[in-house]
Amino acid sequence: MIILVIIIPLITGILVPVIPFQKRWQKEVFLETAVVLNSILVWYLLLHHSTSTFLLAHFTGDLNISFRVDGVSMVFAGLVSALWPFATLYAFEYMTKEEHENVFFLFYTLTYGVTLGIALAANLLTMYFFYELLTLVTVPLVMHTLTREAVLASRKYLYYSLGGAAFAFLGLIMVIVYGTTTDFILGGVLDPAKINGKTNVLLLIYVMAFLGFGVKAAVCPFNSWLPQAGVAPTPVTALLHAVAVVKSGAFAIIRLTYFSFGTDFLKGTWAQDVVMAIVMFTIIYGCSRAVKETHIKRRLAYSTISNLSYILFGVVIMTPLGLAAALTHLVFHAVMKICSFFCAGAIMHQTDRHYVRELDGLGYKMPCVFGIFAISAFALMGVPGLAGFISKWNLAQAAVESENPLAWGGIACLLVSALLTAIYMLTIVVRAFFPGKDFDYAKVEGAKDPNWQMLVPLFVFTLFIIYFGLCSQPIVDFFSNVAIGNA
Amino acid sequence: MNFVCNFPFFSILLSLFSGTICSVLPAKAAKIVNRVVIVVVGLLSATLLLYLISVGEPFIYWMGHFPAPWGNEIRAGILEAGMALFFCIIMYLSMAGGAHKLFDEVDESKHNLYYILVNLLLSSLLALVYTNDMFTAYVFVEINTISACGLIMIRQVGRTIEAAVRYMIMSLLGSGLLLFGLCIMYDLTGHLLMSNIKESVALLVASGEYQIPLIVSVALMCVGLCIKSALFPFHAWLPDAYGYSTVSSAAILSSLVSKGYIFLLIKIIYRVIGFNIFNNTRIIDVLFVFGLMGMIFGSTSAIRENDVRRMIAFSSVAQIGYIYMGFGMGTQAGMVASVYHILSHAATKSLLFIAAIGLTEVSGGSRKLVDLTGSGYRNKWAGVAFTAGSLSMVGIPLFSGFISKLLFAQAAVQVEGKMLASLIVLGISTILNAIYFMKTVIRLYTATGNSPYRGITFGKMKRYAITLIFFILLNILLGVSSQPIVDLIEQGLAMFS
Amino acid sequence: MYCILLSIFFPILAGLFLLIRFRTPLAGEKKNEDRKKLLLLTGTFLVTTALLTAAALLTATERFTLFYLTETLPIYFKIDTTGTLFSLLAMIVVLCAGFFSFEYMKHEEREGRYYGFYLIVFGVLNALCFAGNLITFYLFFELLTLSSMPLVLHCGTKEAVMAGLKYLFYSLCGAYAGLFGIYFLYQYTDTLTFFHGSLYVTAIAEHGGFLLLIAFIMILGFGVKAGMFPMHAWLPTAHPVAPAPASALLSAMIVKAGVLAIIRVTHFFGDDFLQGTWVQTAWICLTLVTIFMGSLLAYREPILKKRLAYSTVSQLSYILFGLAVMNEEAYIGSVLQVLAHGFVKAALFLCAGAFIYKTGKTRVDELRGIGREMPLTLWCWTIASLGLIGIPPTGGFISKWYLAIGSLKSNIPVLGVLGPIILLVSALLTAGYLLPITVRGFFPGADYDRNPLEKKEPGKLMTVPILILTTLSVLIGLFPDSVAFIWH
Repeated sequence: MIILVIIIPLITGILVPVIPFQKRWQKEVFLETAVVLNSILVWYLLLHHSTSTFLLAHFTGDLNISFRVDGVSMVFAGLVSALWPFATLYAFEYMTKEEHENVFFLFYTLTYGVTLGIALAANLLTMYFFYELLTLVTVPLVMHTLTREAVLASRKYLYYSLGGAAFAFLGLIMVIVYGTTTDFILGGVLDPAKINGKTNVLLLIYVMAFLGFGVKAAVCPFNSWLPQAGVAPTPVTALLHAVAVVKSGAFAIIRLTYFSFGTDFLKGTWAQDVVMAIVMFTIIYGCSRAVKETHIKRRLAYSTISNLSYILFGVVIMTPLGLAAALTHLVFHAVMKICSFFCAGAIMHQTDRHYVRELDGLGYKMPCVFGIFAISAFALMGVPGLAGFISKWNLAQAAVESENPLAWGGIACLLVSALLTAIYMLTIVVRAFFPGKDFDYAKVEGAKDPNWQMLVPLFVFTLFIIYFGLCSQPIVDFFSNVAIGNA
Repeated sequence: MNFVCNFPFFSILLSLFSGTICSVLPAKAAKIVNRVVIVVVGLLSATLLLYLISVGEPFIYWMGHFPAPWGNEIRAGILEAGMALFFCIIMYLSMAGGAHKLFDEVDESKHNLYYILVNLLLSSLLALVYTNDMFTAYVFVEINTISACGLIMIRQVGRTIEAAVRYMIMSLLGSGLLLFGLCIMYDLTGHLLMSNIKESVALLVASGEYQIPLIVSVALMCVGLCIKSALFPFHAWLPDAYGYSTVSSAAILSSLVSKGYIFLLIKIIYRVIGFNIFNNTRIIDVLFVFGLMGMIFGSTSAIRENDVRRMIAFSSVAQIGYIYMGFGMGTQAGMVASVYHILSHAATKSLLFIAAIGLTEVSGGSRKLVDLTGSGYRNKWAGVAFTAGSLSMVGIPLFSGFISKLLFAQAAVQVEGKMLASLIVLGISTILNAIYFMKTVIRLYTATGNSPYRGITFGKMKRYAITLIFFILLNILLGVSSQPIVDLIEQGLAMFS
Repeated sequence: MYCILLSIFFPILAGLFLLIRFRTPLAGEKKNEDRKKLLLLTGTFLVTTALLTAAALLTATERFTLFYLTETLPIYFKIDTTGTLFSLLAMIVVLCAGFFSFEYMKHEEREGRYYGFYLIVFGVLNALCFAGNLITFYLFFELLTLSSMPLVLHCGTKEAVMAGLKYLFYSLCGAYAGLFGIYFLYQYTDTLTFFHGSLYVTAIAEHGGFLLLIAFIMILGFGVKAGMFPMHAWLPTAHPVAPAPASALLSAMIVKAGVLAIIRVTHFFGDDFLQGTWVQTAWICLTLVTIFMGSLLAYREPILKKRLAYSTVSQLSYILFGLAVMNEEAYIGSVLQVLAHGFVKAALFLCAGAFIYKTGKTRVDELRGIGREMPLTLWCWTIASLGLIGIPPTGGFISKWYLAIGSLKSNIPVLGVLGPIILLVSALLTAGYLLPITVRGFFPGADYDRNPLEKKEPGKLMTVPILILTTLSVLIGLFPDSVAFIWH
């Protein structure tokens, strides 16, 4: 069962270029059905989960490839499987203008399976395996347009990711050698008897592994691949570079910190201070770059960099509350960012405008898109009543409660970043709706809201943003339970 | 004595003899003889391997039933038999993969010469693997050198002559040093048989006499073999030799010849000097440092290279660095990792060479990376194979490269002083590998739209494609079911001492 | 409960309705017809909202939780005396400025957008006054910023848009500083509800120094909206570019949201906790600097609306000064100053609007002889000016009197005495920057060519609101006890 949800997308993906579809809609129906079915299967699995481990294969010694559903994987797998059908739907419309559709959908669907593999992995080795695979299956998506820019971007992405994995690998080795098992166990698996005076080395390797996995989560200074990777088609940037891929990095760090090294071992050490400082710096850095950036998608990419570090900030607080807050932001940011990315995609698709300065006055021609963009902007800023406020609130509460002065400084970073978020998001909204007195409306003649295939996902995500903002209690309670291992 | 115990001797003799026969046969027949011999030797080795696993202990075979010190001995354990089998597999696949290219690259009249050289090479490799006698080893080292040299310069185009000469000089320097070491050792111990030398060395060390000459002798032998196996900084001969010879030669040279020397070094470490005594010398530290440097510099050179074959060749320098790093750790685990890496690298590197030839073929014969743009679409199987090989080199799980990385890292963690250095270099080297291999892979799949070169279909390259598939499978086999192989290596190493 | 909810959500929904209904610019022949419809609707909505607000104020004892954001974060409403005061002020100013706009905005484009946001601001202001805990307050504080920004940049010149953004970012910056404090308060108190919330004694003992820092950050943060030095720069930029009625609303009411926030926050920490600490000292210093600097800058400013904006900076800090002194007299002074300044400044801005609307003159030196053209307006201006300077019997006199008394009674070394002196100096400066307009307006000088001057008195829609506000500014001085319920 559990292996099925990983395999179905893989097979579906491979079938796309193989089956000779007569018409385009047949392909669309085939893909969408498979993806929706798989998502339903995932949810069924999550809701009726057993904690037993599914062993796929032995690797060497006691290392094996195995899968298991636990709380954290429920969050990530649930998130990914909930978003994928929408993103696929959106992709159909978007890809009408692009070439090599089959190749695109092949890898797009493969990525679904691989991401689920990361989410459902039961031990560090399995996760590492799918983590590497994720890099490989997403490279063709970045490269999709095959322009020189795209090739350079995918190259960079590949170097960064594989290089990061090389250092994450060291963490894996440490867990193999100094741990009792590589399975994920909340609280860590390091064996105190084996550590025996090697604490500092282990901490050093932890920092390296953190940075290694952090490459995918775009931690400074390893973040420059992400804005460049924005050359990919928007469904990719929206889903992969705002959710699936980058959050796999964050997810991997959660696994590494809470389930492998263990917070007892890490909390209060210099390693925690180092990673927290890095994360705080990234929060500010991402935002500042976003403010300076004028290309819409790259601006959003920088915003993602900063927001990913919000998640990591929650993670490195290293308390259950911190983990709960990190998970909250993991989910909420996904919804907010995918929403704003889809808006950006809709703008680019409808008007072929890519830079912020070209958006003047479009708000009146595309009220739905820009209205939703404004809502997602407010949510990202953290206006109460929308999703972003809740996750930021939880992060700040976790930081206050941890009684760690550095984390208190982190709260200040969050708020500075919120201000910068306002700057880079609202300037777009203001431009669109208040183009200025002398604006010539003939310039935006012809622009209009996209069709329902693009709008439906937008509206659904907006509803979620508002819903999470108003009724977050059940889901946050669930995250809290996950964080203390009760789910 | 069981009949199976004759097999090592048979296989050496068979390949040696078939070399001689090939000289009078026409090219086609020579080719068939060559293939058959490789297959037969492979089968013999496989049988031997199974026999040894079932028996569980090595045996010594007296040539002509003379005991030492007059007779010459052959010794076979699991590791030797396994290595022989593996060499045969790689050699067969390399020959099969490069066969079609042979007609273009080598003069018609020299075809049977080529097969003679290959057969000789095989026999010398087998002898290096099986022999229990230092002097025999030296003799076959020389045979190996000569045949390898022939393989390089049989394609008489451009820089091959220069490459061959360079190879010859460096190799002879290496064998010379080996011979010196051997002489000193003979002086000190009075024996040429490995087992006897070991006893004497143990006595010498215990008595504390002749320490310096002993070290000098060991050092000379090590340096000699390092030169021959292209450890950094003695790798100058390698890129040209691998880069310009025919593709089968390159595959064989990179995956077998240098590995034969390394295997000999392992034998010397275990069977002649003794593992513990060797580890107590400072030589392993030197090997360790050179290994690490090789890992870095090999890769950086490869990054700068824009000729695909030379790039792969430089990558060999890095990979040989890994192996020596394993030696340098001075632990059993490090040694196991090194031996595993010999297998993994052999399987991967020959795959890459063979795949590269397919790609250059569909790019107008040019080996410049720029011209390879989009060739992954033109020759799909070669593209896939090159990608698989690259992934293995980078150390993606499922491929053999990952396991050797895993083994190296695990071994490194257990060595107090060398842990951080080796882990960090391992990480950096992986990144560097990723840079040049993935850069190439991306280039292969960057469609240019209006390429002047025609693609090739599966029908026109069936054998080639099948060879590639076997290579990939071999790689995945090593990567997925590594545990039994690692167990065998451990048993084999245990049989050494 | 329903009155409160309606007084908040009715104008917001009505505003949204206007935004959607009149989203395209009114143009062509249909313009007049459409405009009538728009004004009718807006007028109805404004009056209805005012009535609803009044009804809500009459049921003043009500308190209820509308909704739980999370289990521990309720959206809670409650009417208390401070809220009542601010809400009254808001109602009057919004109505006056609103009807003034009907005339003033005649020639502007996109009136639908203007009135839409105007109504939303009304609702949000009500919500802000009725908010019963810090979270609710913060929510509407943010919304106020977001919904009032379109008013600032309404006329859409590049300058206006930049000013709007500047206003937005300054305000958000302040709000986030406030939020920073709220994060911590949440941990160290049992509830964020006003009046019930108080700091844990243990928290004060353990983190006393840190909590003081938090208090200071919150005061600074919310002080941004109230134009307190050093974050006052948005005010002189934003006021002049906004349409005059919007400036009136901004200056009279929206900046007071910052004052309200600071009242709530200091209340939360408690006077006992802050009194005599470095926070109080620093805060008083900042307000005094602001008072003096604001007046001085206003004195030197040649553009009328900008001069009024600097004046607002200065006058608001009177209020903050009273709060910072933290005794009863000073508090009374502050409350009276809130009302007095609200009426006066709204009246002044509307007058300035009337000048601009009728003559197009924006600079002070162009206003010579304006008394000939618009005598009624200038008279109102003069009376309101007297209120701002603090001449008896206007409201400004009473409030400043109490402020000075409070300051002298407070026993704060040096600053307690320095305060009244600076108030006096500032009053002189105020006279210096307001009265010349009156003087030159009525007595342009012998050499001035009076021939082109003719009667240009604006219509009733403009004069009546000005008259009402001016009257109120005098009345508050005559009957200060009418708002005595605040401090009893």
